[in-house]
Amino acid sequence: MNDLLNQLRLVSDWLTSSQQWHGAEGIPQRLLEHLTYSGVSLLFAALIGLTFGLLVGHTGRGAFAVASVANLARAIPTFGLVVLVVTLAGLSTTPVLIALTALAVPPILINTFEGVRGVDPATRDAARGVGMTEWEVLVKVEVPMALPLILLGLRVAAIQIVATATVAAYPGLGGLGRFIVDGLSRNDYELVIGGSTVVVVLALLVQIAFTALRRVIVSPGLRVSASRS
Amino acid sequence: MIRFDAVSKNYPNGTTAVDELSLELAEGGITVLVGPSGCGKTTTLRMINRMVEPTAGTVSLRGQDIRDVHAPELRRGIGYVIQHAGLFPHRTILDNIATVPLLLGWSKKKARARAAELLELVGLPAEMATRYPNQLSGGQQQRVGVARALGADPPVLLMDEPFSAVDPIVRAELQAEFIRLQKELHKTIVFVTHDIDEAIKLGDNIAVFRTGGKLAQFDTPERLLAHPADDFVAGFVGQDRGIRRLSFVKAGEVPLREGPVLTTTTAVAQARATDEPWILVVDDARRPLGWVEAAAIPQGGTLADATLTPLGHTFSLVGDSARAALDAALLSPSRLAVGVDVDGAVIGVVDAYELSAVIAVAKAEAAAGTTDGGDA
Repeated sequence: MNDLLNQLRLVSDWLTSSQQWHGAEGIPQRLLEHLTYSGVSLLFAALIGLTFGLLVGHTGRGAFAVASVANLARAIPTFGLVVLVVTLAGLSTTPVLIALTALAVPPILINTFEGVRGVDPATRDAARGVGMTEWEVLVKVEVPMALPLILLGLRVAAIQIVATATVAAYPGLGGLGRFIVDGLSRNDYELVIGGSTVVVVLALLVQIAFTALRRVIVSPGLRVSASRS
Repeated sequence: MIRFDAVSKNYPNGTTAVDELSLELAEGGITVLVGPSGCGKTTTLRMINRMVEPTAGTVSLRGQDIRDVHAPELRRGIGYVIQHAGLFPHRTILDNIATVPLLLGWSKKKARARAAELLELVGLPAEMATRYPNQLSGGQQQRVGVARALGADPPVLLMDEPFSAVDPIVRAELQAEFIRLQKELHKTIVFVTHDIDEAIKLGDNIAVFRTGGKLAQFDTPERLLAHPADDFVAGFVGQDRGIRRLSFVKAGEVPLREGPVLTTTTAVAQARATDEPWILVVDDARRPLGWVEAAAIPQGGTLADATLTPLGHTFSLVGDSARAALDAALLSPSRLAVGVDVDGAVIGVVDAYELSAVIAVAKAEAAAGTTDGGDA
């Protein structure tokens, strides 16, 4: 109990001290770096995951390949991947972005694919039957109907990226991982716990943002609990 | 209007869904394709809007080979209704109905105004416009499916077992509504069902298919029942086709007798004086109230004091067929069917035995029709 209180005090002392909020070593700067790595990797992962997920889900071709690639990619340890890419490509932001993107593609790909494939065949048949082109079937019917799953995939990917972007600090880059890595090497637990707290809060905010987004863009007709009348 | 020329559909695994079908469907009527499952009726239907492409032969619509028309464009000009309605769950009812007009590039405003019109046409209240499909019952969804198919007012409507997924009561309602709609719209309709009763009820012409995608007979319902082409068709239209034929005899042609009809103000004594086992009690406007058994008539007062046995149902001399009369007779406590006019006033009664004479007459007429009419 005392330990927990101590830790909370450490965190609050660290978070409230003014030096944390200014300069290149401050929280705002590190947060900005962290968000940049995360945002860029999520963007690339979404481009790859959505494109292939929609394509394979719509045509039904390559479903097995998608599942295999996604499962394989999931098994690769992110940290190992960063070390590997740094070794090969040298010390820069690129290996970190590649690793984070690789981490985020599988959940987006799999969920998008499942979402599109899960559209009721009768609905798809009706869409074609009333005269939609293949592109219209995808954009007007399959995507809106798959949206809950697509958003789930993006959310899982975003949270994983935000949490994992801390590895950027190992090859000497910035981001919120800096506090944790530096704190560990200096035995400065105030720094470690403070940095971790910011990462946790950020992940929670991502979660909240996606929940709000879902409410806005998913059709009420797709909510399971819609009342019969 | 719609013409099949030696059309076949074979699948790579060797099955033949449709075998050398040649058929011409008239404009403005309902053609029902009926047969057991696996007989190729749905495949035949789906070849009309290119949802299935034939392996051989030509399908033409108004003289034009449908392969010359870009498939999505062809489909926008043909209404399509499927079994479970296949509504778009993420769109409101109004936007579901507006689908085809929007695909054709109408403005949102115009498309929605048209959709609102159609919502009313299929008998749904305007407040349903903003609901979503999962808030509607199966029967309501099917009505929306029909409205969506009518979106751009296509001359041709394809319906693939549209009423088979709803319960019998709703189905009868939808069928009646469908007949009413068709009287108003005069579309060329191709309708697939596995239910011969539905086929006889709705079809102007019926194409009976047998397993293996062969056309067994193409005829009017009357002639199909009277002269099945072979044992398969006879078996498919069923043992009770004699009773089904009553559907084509108008109730107005049924001979009625006056029967034991008395008003509520009749004195009991007078009622007892009749020799009938059952008496039909009517109000001042001769609308039937119920039956009373002679043995159960009270000792004094008027018939208003008597305990009435419910009627079952009556049949209308203007809208119903002799089949409704027979059904009414069988369900009536007195074994007498009550015939009423448009206002619901009793005209007379008939029993099942008397109705059987009507069947005999119809049968004789149908037989005469064969010798005179050739293959009309």
